[in-house]
Amino acid sequence: MSDATPVFSTCEYRTLTCVLDTIIPPSDDGKFPGAGAIGLADAIVAALQHTPALQPVFIQGLAAIEDRSRKQTSEGFVGLSPAAKVEMLHEIALAEQGFFALLLFHTYAGYYQNGRVLEGLGLEPRPPHPKGYEMPPPDLTLLEPVRRRGKLYRSG
Amino acid sequence: MHATRDGCSRDSQQRPKSTEPIDILIIGAGAAGAALAWSLADTRMNILCLEQGDWMDPAQYPGMRTDWEVRQLSDFALSPNARGRREDYPVNDADSPIAASMFNAVGGSTIMYGAHFPRFHPADFKVKTLDGVADDWPLDYARLEPYYVLNDRMMGVAGLAGDPAYPPKDVPLPPVAFGKLGETIARGFNRLGWHWWPSDSAIVTQPYEGRAACINAGTCVVGCAQGAKASTDITYWPVALRRGVRLKTRCRVCEITVGANGMADGVIYYDAQGIEHRQRAEAVVLACNGIGTARLLLNSRSQLFPDGLANRSGLVGKNLMLHPYALVTGVFNEPLEGYKGPTGCCIMSQEFYETDRSRGFVRGCTFEVGRGAGPVLAALQGLSAGHLPWGPDHHHAYAELFDRTMGIVAICEDLPEPHNRVTLDPLLVDAEGIPAPKITYRLSDNSRTMLDYAVARAKEVLEASGAKTVSAEAPLKVAGWHLMGTARMGTDPDTSVVNDWGRCHDVRNLFIIDGSIFVTGAGVNPTCTIQALALYIGDMIKRNLANLFD
Repeated sequence: MSDATPVFSTCEYRTLTCVLDTIIPPSDDGKFPGAGAIGLADAIVAALQHTPALQPVFIQGLAAIEDRSRKQTSEGFVGLSPAAKVEMLHEIALAEQGFFALLLFHTYAGYYQNGRVLEGLGLEPRPPHPKGYEMPPPDLTLLEPVRRRGKLYRSG
Repeated sequence: MHATRDGCSRDSQQRPKSTEPIDILIIGAGAAGAALAWSLADTRMNILCLEQGDWMDPAQYPGMRTDWEVRQLSDFALSPNARGRREDYPVNDADSPIAASMFNAVGGSTIMYGAHFPRFHPADFKVKTLDGVADDWPLDYARLEPYYVLNDRMMGVAGLAGDPAYPPKDVPLPPVAFGKLGETIARGFNRLGWHWWPSDSAIVTQPYEGRAACINAGTCVVGCAQGAKASTDITYWPVALRRGVRLKTRCRVCEITVGANGMADGVIYYDAQGIEHRQRAEAVVLACNGIGTARLLLNSRSQLFPDGLANRSGLVGKNLMLHPYALVTGVFNEPLEGYKGPTGCCIMSQEFYETDRSRGFVRGCTFEVGRGAGPVLAALQGLSAGHLPWGPDHHHAYAELFDRTMGIVAICEDLPEPHNRVTLDPLLVDAEGIPAPKITYRLSDNSRTMLDYAVARAKEVLEASGAKTVSAEAPLKVAGWHLMGTARMGTDPDTSVVNDWGRCHDVRNLFIIDGSIFVTGAGVNPTCTIQALALYIGDMIKRNLANLFD
C-alpha cells in the first residue's frame, strides 16, 4: 500500500485490489497477471492524490460494493465467489456509473503500462525512447502498378 | 494591469512605457514565424520574435516514459482546452463539430504535428478557374515551388520522387518505413488499382544537419525526443538565432497598436510574470495561426479600426477552413506491428483528390494511412467503442484488438464560407484576461457528401487489404488542427485582407504569414505550404525593403 497520504483504509484498499483482479483477471495461460496483483491499486492511489476531487467518488463507489457484498457474505466483496464478484460489478456498473467508468479508465490505462503486461504482449518493458524500434526499409517494388499509371494531377 | 474586456484597446496615455523601436516584430515562433525569421536574418535588420509559449525540453517529452500514451489525454492532449497549460489560450469550439487544436511553444504546433508534408497541387491554386467554386489564389504553384524546395531542405523531408499525383520534384531523404501495416494496405490499394505513394514526411530517415535519424518510436504527436521530426525549434530557430534574430518567450501579445497615420507602430504584450510591456516596431508580422491571428486582429480595435485591425473588408475571422476528417478503422486477423513507425504518416493515396463531378461533389481528399495504437490507447479506444469488456473475456477481446487495427484518415477539402468564422468570445479569456476566440463552423453539403464518399472508399480499401471489420467516425471531432482562411489573400481590398505577398491592404507595414492567408485549403496538410508562403513573403519583403511601405 502506498506510503503517501492515505486515500483508502486498509479495508477499502483490499477491496479495490480484489475489484481490480475481477476487472482484469489473470489470463488462463499465465501470460498476463491480474490487475490487482501487479499493484495497480497503488497507481490509482497516486492518481487520486493528484486529483483529490475524485477521491470521494472512489470511496463512495467502494463503499457501495462493500455494502452490497456484505448482504451476501460477512467477508464482503473478497469473500464472494468469482462468479458472484462479476455479477456484483455488473450491478455496480449500473448503479454507480460515474465511479465505474472512472475505475475502468484507470484500470485499463494503468494495466497496459505495466512491464509484466507489456512482456505478455511480446513487447519490451520500456518506453519507446530512446531505443525505438527496428523496421526494415520499405519495399518499393510494390509501387510498380502505380508508376505505370502516369500523370494523375491537373496542371492548373 | 490586465487586458480590458473590450479587447485590450486603450488610449495612448494608458499605454505602458515604450521601448526603442525594432525593425521587424514577429508574433509567433511556430512553423511560419520561424521560417520568416530565418529568411529575414540575412538582412541584419533588428528582428524580434515574441512567443507566448516557451522552449520545450525534448528530454521531458512523454515518449521517454511508459505513461506516454495517457499523456495524450492530459498535458499533451490535442485540444488546448484539455491541456490547460498557461502558455495556451482557450478556444470556445462548442459551436463546431470539429474541435480546434494548436500548441503554443517555440516550434508551435510543429511540436505535436505528425509531420505529414504534402504540397498543394497546381490545381489547388486555381479552383475558381478549374472547378467554378471559391476563388483562385493570387499566386500559383510555380511561384511557390522554389520555396517548397528550400523548405524541404531546411526541415529535412523524407519521401520518394516520381509520384504521378504531383509535378516532378526531388525529395531530400528516403521515405519512412512502411512496416507490415504499410505493406498490407499498399497491397490493398494495388488490388483496387488505386493510386498510393510513400508520404512526404518532415522526418529525417538518415542523419541530417546534426539531427539523428528516426528510430520508429511512434511518438511523433507528443514531441520527438529523438529530434528526427522537424519541429521549428530544432530546424529554423537555431540558425536564425545564430544570425542575430532575438526571440523572447512567455510573451503574450494583447494588441497591435497603430499610430495616427494608420500604420502599425508596435504591440502591447504580457511577460511571464503578467507584467505589461510595450514594444515599438517599424513593421509587424503575424504568425499566430488561422485562429490566433484573427483573434489578435479583432482584439486590436481603435478609432481608426473599430472592427479590428486590417478589417475594413470585414473578412478578418471569416472563411475559416478546418479540413473535415474521416477516420476509418479496420481490424485485421494478423498482427500489423502498427505501434512501430512514425505516427501520422506511412503512405498516402490521392486517387480521389482531383475534382470528378460524377462523385457528387467538387474538389477531393487525400487518404493518409496512420499507425496502429499502442497498448494503452488500444485498450482505451476499445473501451470507448464498447469492444473491450472487463471480466473473464477481457484478455481474449484485447488480443483481437491490440496490434490488429489500422486507421485511414481522409482529409477533405472544405471550401471557404463566410459563416464559418472566428469571433471573440464574450466571456472566455486566457490567463491574462485577454478575450479568447470562439469558432463557429458548419459542414457544407459538399463536405458532407465528400466525407460519406471518402468513408465508403476507405472501407473498400481496408476490406481489400484484409480487414475483417471496419468502423468510421466522420467528421473526426478532435481533428481541427489545420486552421486556414481567416485573413485571406487577394488583389482586391474589398474581398481580401492581405495582398499576394502577405501585406495587409489596410495597414501597409503589417504582414500575415500563417494559414490565415490561404484562399482555399486544398485536401492536404497545410504546414509545408504555410512555410513556403512565409519564405516567399520573406523574399518579397527583402526585395521591397527600399520602398516597403510606399
